[in-house]
Amino acid sequence: MSNQSTDTSVAETALKRAPASRGHIHPHHQSFSFARVFAIASNTLLELVRLKVFYFLLIFALVLIGSSAFMINFTFQEQFQVLKDSSLGAMSIFTWLLAVLATAMLLPKDIEDRTLYTILAKPVPRFEYLLGKLLGVLGLLFISTVVMTGLFFTVLYARQELEIAKVVQESAAMAKGMEAAAETATEAVTGTVASVSEQTAAAVKAIKDSTFSWSLGPAIVAIYLKAALFAALTLLISTFASSWIFTIVTSVAIYFIGTIQPIAREYWLANNAGTPLAKAFLALVALLFPDLQLFNLVDDIVAGNTISNILFLKTASLGVVYVTVYLFLAYFIFSKKEL
Amino acid sequence: MTEPAISIRNLTKVYPVPFRRERVVAVRDLTLNVEPGQVYGLLGPNGSGKSTTMKIVLGLVPPTSGETQIFGRDSSLVESHEEVGFLPENPYFYKYLTGEETLRFYGKLCGMRGQALKDRSRDLLKLVGLENAADRRLGGYSKGMLQRIGLAQALIQEPRLLVLDEPTAGVDPAGSREIRDLILDFKSRGITILLCSHLLGQVQEICDRVGILHKGSLVREGRLEELISVENQTQLILENASPELLAKIEAEVARGGAGLVEKSKPQTTLERYFLEVTK
Repeated sequence: MSNQSTDTSVAETALKRAPASRGHIHPHHQSFSFARVFAIASNTLLELVRLKVFYFLLIFALVLIGSSAFMINFTFQEQFQVLKDSSLGAMSIFTWLLAVLATAMLLPKDIEDRTLYTILAKPVPRFEYLLGKLLGVLGLLFISTVVMTGLFFTVLYARQELEIAKVVQESAAMAKGMEAAAETATEAVTGTVASVSEQTAAAVKAIKDSTFSWSLGPAIVAIYLKAALFAALTLLISTFASSWIFTIVTSVAIYFIGTIQPIAREYWLANNAGTPLAKAFLALVALLFPDLQLFNLVDDIVAGNTISNILFLKTASLGVVYVTVYLFLAYFIFSKKEL
Repeated sequence: MTEPAISIRNLTKVYPVPFRRERVVAVRDLTLNVEPGQVYGLLGPNGSGKSTTMKIVLGLVPPTSGETQIFGRDSSLVESHEEVGFLPENPYFYKYLTGEETLRFYGKLCGMRGQALKDRSRDLLKLVGLENAADRRLGGYSKGMLQRIGLAQALIQEPRLLVLDEPTAGVDPAGSREIRDLILDFKSRGITILLCSHLLGQVQEICDRVGILHKGSLVREGRLEELISVENQTQLILENASPELLAKIEAEVARGGAGLVEKSKPQTTLERYFLEVTK
């Protein structure tokens, strides 16, 4: 064979320094390495990006534009309310759906293609593998949330400026008419002109107040946390599920149960006094079916209620606790899994 | 004494059958050693326990009883994987990564980085003959190319042991020969190789030692030539021998009390012929 000799010479360079450079190539094995987790996380993110999952953002943009097209007859307060309501609602659904769908296929695909064998045959602990996969999805959700927030704020800002321009134009026309009248009339009218500019300023302020408010931040963080919770939960289900269809169906079912469970719990508690057994049962139910109403800050915020810092911190830490618990449960099952 | 590359002692693996009382014994009391520098062929029909044995050696599956070690370290420990490279049967790597990205990814998993990893990836791509496909995504690779990138990924951290499961399954004869040459090349560099294969012809060409598994038990084990050579026979191959000379030799054989078992023209192998024609 003609390429035998070149193969051999390359082999020399690729293999001959094996004994000499061994210490260099094999750093002391660390029981936890952030570099390995990062390699798996960025690879997972890259996979999802190259699978073109970001195309769903186009649909979000359409929802955004569509929702502001049909409300010409509303007052601006109503318009902004509907815009915020539908945008945050769409963000909530899209990030949740993305979390479930993107996570459900990660493990089954790696197992089916035997890619998992090649990864775990390297010095990679199983916990790092799971953590890397989860962080990859969380990264994807983060980017999606940021991009959707950007689109949402752009549209909201554009509509705000449009409304302000309209108000300013109207009041300018009004003032002009009054000035014309002032030339022939008494001083009283001059006072009215001044009050028109005051009114304009008040109207602009009212518009600004009903668009951007600080409470949008907590709402968006809560949306992200809910999606993160579902990513971790879906990962947990996929460690024991027999197929990704099962994983998705179970995860979606838990979503719906989690949405209605506070109502069921109240009803149940009203009929059963708080015995220790009942409390333990409720705690288990709360772990398996997270109370999603707690993450629903959107309704309050859109309605104009402020969210107390305490409530926000409680929601945020609850989200973090759920993600952590699900991750460790997933590791517990995955570490015993026979591949 | 040097420690064995792989040491398997009294290994048993029992799989429970879901929803039934019976159990399947995949591997039964298996004991074997693979010495450093050897090419060891693990043979056996489908379902004989080869893959299970390999997975236990790699720490992917826990044994029911017994133990396995890689260069003296228990193979259930993650650290023991530093010395192993693994190529599974019919592997699919991440399709959306290029050849070079694939090697970098696996290198990072082994704690490598920077220029050293870059150089190592380039060298390995050259070694397996994929330097021209380095920037192509694996989705567009042929079966033979996938196996070669698989070999390169297994070697990324310069392990002393390679575990290969059916490395030439589904690869065309030319590709299969290239892979065989690569394996022989690794062997000449002192890398120990555990090879599982059905292709007995190929095993015969490259293995020093073989073990045959049947229904989870090791039924035969030993050096290849000891196992298959016919001790009381000798093969002679002549070139340009005249009929007179042949007649003389035959007469001499008969006079010496030996028997002529077979007289034939050696044939080229179909493999060699195929490679010649498709070159």
